[in-house]
Amino acid sequence: MPYGLHNSNQIQVGDTLPSVTLKYCPYDPELSKACGIPQVLTTDSFKGKKVVIFGVPGAFTPTCNNNHLPEYKEKYDELAKKGVDQVVCISTADAFVMDAWGKWTEVSDKVIMAADGNGDFVKATGLWQDLTKVGMGAVRSKRFAMVVDDLKVTYIGVETQFGVSVSGATAVLAKL
Amino acid sequence: MTIKVGDTLPSVNLKYCPYDPSLEHACGIPQNLSTDSFKGKKVVIFGVPGAFTPTCNNSHLPEFHQKFQELTAKGVDQVICISTSDAFVMDAWGKWTKTNDKLILAADGNGEFVTATGLAQDLTKIGFGPLRSQRFALVADDLKVTYIGVETGSGVSVSGATAVLAAL
Repeated sequence: MPYGLHNSNQIQVGDTLPSVTLKYCPYDPELSKACGIPQVLTTDSFKGKKVVIFGVPGAFTPTCNNNHLPEYKEKYDELAKKGVDQVVCISTADAFVMDAWGKWTEVSDKVIMAADGNGDFVKATGLWQDLTKVGMGAVRSKRFAMVVDDLKVTYIGVETQFGVSVSGATAVLAKL
Repeated sequence: MTIKVGDTLPSVNLKYCPYDPSLEHACGIPQNLSTDSFKGKKVVIFGVPGAFTPTCNNSHLPEFHQKFQELTAKGVDQVICISTSDAFVMDAWGKWTKTNDKLILAADGNGEFVTATGLAQDLTKIGFGPLRSQRFALVADDLKVTYIGVETGSGVSVSGATAVLAAL
C-alpha cells in the first residue's frame, strides 16, 4: 500500500464524507499568473451544504480537459437551480497545478479547483487508482462524481471505462 | 546516493509532448524520451519541485529559456526541464510560460529519474505528496555528469542557468 495510508472501501450512498483537508487557490480575477498562497479547504466546511464533488485522474489530460471539467462549468447554473451550493473538482495534483488548470479552462468562480495533493481524500473514500503503468504515478483519482448533502453521500457515480457518463454533470443533474 | 560529477546518467524513460504550435490546448499523445538518447550529446537537465509553483514558474524555468542561446553557444544540445508531474501538466506548463519552443518539458511521472539519481524529496508536509524532485541542475556530456548543483535553501542559485553557464 503506497505511503502506508489507510485504504478504505469505496464510499457509498448513505455514507458520511470523511473529514479531509484539501488545498485550493481562491478565485482572483486579478491574478493572471501563478497562484498566490494555497488555502486550506476542509470537507468539514461542506456541513449544511449540498456539494457536488467530481474527481479527475489528471489535470490538462484530454478527457478531463475537453469533456469532464467543461461540462460542469457549462451546467453550473442548472446545478445551482437544483440547490447545489458548491461544485468542487478534485485531483491528486497540487493546488498550483489545479489553479493553473482552472485559469486555462476559464472556470472562474464556478468550480472550486481543489488539490488532494497527498491523496488523502481519494484514499479515505476508496476512489484512488494506480496509474504507474502510464507514467502517472501510484496515487491518482478515479473518474467519479458524488453529491453530498450535509456531509451524507446521496449519489455516487464511478466510471469503469473511458469517457464521461455516470461521473458527468448531466448524470448528476438527473439525480438531483 | 545523490548522483555526482563523474557518474553516468541512469537509463530512464521520461515522457514529453513534442512541441507543436498548432495544438492550442491539451497535448496529443505523450512520447517516450529515454535518457539513452542523450548519448553523444551535451545536455542540461534541471529539476523543479512543481510546475506552476511560484519559484519554478517565475524564476527557475524562465531563466533557462532566456539563456538558451548562450547555452547552445557553449555546445549544449538540449535543455530539459524535469518534474514528477505527468506529460500533460508539463506540456501545459510549457505552453503557459511559452518556453516549450526551446526547452523540453519532460515528465518523470513515476519518479524513476529522481529516485535513481537520489534527487527526490518528500513534500507530503505541504500537500505535494511523497515523490517530488529537488531543485537541481546538471550537465551530462555523453551521459557523464560534468556538473551538478542542488539547492539547499529556497530560491535559485546553483541550479540556475547562470550557474550552469559558468560551469560550461
